[in-house]
Amino acid sequence: MTSDTIPAGGDPRRLLADARGLAHRVRLAQRVTWLPLLVLAVVTFGAIPAHRFGPMVVTNCRPEPGGEICKVWEPAAQTYWLLAVVVGYVVIAGGYLRVARARGVDARVLPYAITGVVLAVVLFAAIAAGAGAWIVPDPQELMHPSTFVQVLFRLLTPLGGIGLALLVLAWLERHVALLLFALGYLVVVLVPITFGWGAHWGDEFEDAPMLVIAGGLLLLGSAAFAAAQRLRRPR
Amino acid sequence: MTGPVDAPAPGEAESPHPVTGLVDVVHQRVRLGILTIAHEARRVEFGFLRSQLELTAGNLSQHLGVLEAAGLVEVEKGYAGKRGRTWITLTVAGDAALAEEIARLKQLIARVETTPRG
Repeated sequence: MTSDTIPAGGDPRRLLADARGLAHRVRLAQRVTWLPLLVLAVVTFGAIPAHRFGPMVVTNCRPEPGGEICKVWEPAAQTYWLLAVVVGYVVIAGGYLRVARARGVDARVLPYAITGVVLAVVLFAAIAAGAGAWIVPDPQELMHPSTFVQVLFRLLTPLGGIGLALLVLAWLERHVALLLFALGYLVVVLVPITFGWGAHWGDEFEDAPMLVIAGGLLLLGSAAFAAAQRLRRPR
Repeated sequence: MTGPVDAPAPGEAESPHPVTGLVDVVHQRVRLGILTIAHEARRVEFGFLRSQLELTAGNLSQHLGVLEAAGLVEVEKGYAGKRGRTWITLTVAGDAALAEEIARLKQLIARVETTPRG
């Protein structure tokens, strides 16, 4: 019930602190962090059969000292990633807007969704065009890639794109916990540690361990953020 | 539209006290709160504002009327199912007024902190 005009000699520190507090409460009301993590976990798990049953096309092979360099392309899996990620971001944006509006505010999710879609399209085009050979023109380095090149190539995958887009969402929401989660996720994707798990699954399931780990991490993150949000909500 | 102004101290003529730029419409705790929430939320529902600012509907309507008359917010009435809902959006002028008010408050704090006592 406050309608008193603050005199010019009032406490500007308190006014600013109040404004910052209100802005923070709005950001909390706008967050639906569990949703993108859940949707992207489902998309990641869905990629396992796409990689398993989709064909692998090997073209443009040329002999090099010590081996052969080919363009490797999984059209079904890459098309799956493109479509599933685009549909996923549409679902995320729609869900965010719906939940936030039900709470009485608008969401600031569109830049995140647009970043995710743009990354998905660019990565699809880069992989389809065999951009690895442009990024690393030296055939010997392609055959024996340095740690930096390996990390770069893992970043330029759909899993890497998901992590980069999550960094954008963390920045949009000024969400420190999500920033830490996104950084941890990127570390797992860029430095894949499977503990030898899935080593005997055969070539068809070569990608499965990494997809299970990345999808599982997203799923765990979704559950953790949903639980945290439930705990924070006033009863 | 401005608050009381003290006579400038010698040497201060070229940099007016930040208080001279404060606009009464914005320099008020509730209205500053409405503008802050509308800025952060992009579009905010009447009920959200009421609960966050702990105001009665009548009191909030009065403040919104002042801001709307000053061209700082737009009020849009609609329906969600059978339930009426009122959405408030910051105008470009409202955005500028909020930014100016925050800048003035920061200037005031900086001036208070750098002015020696006594």
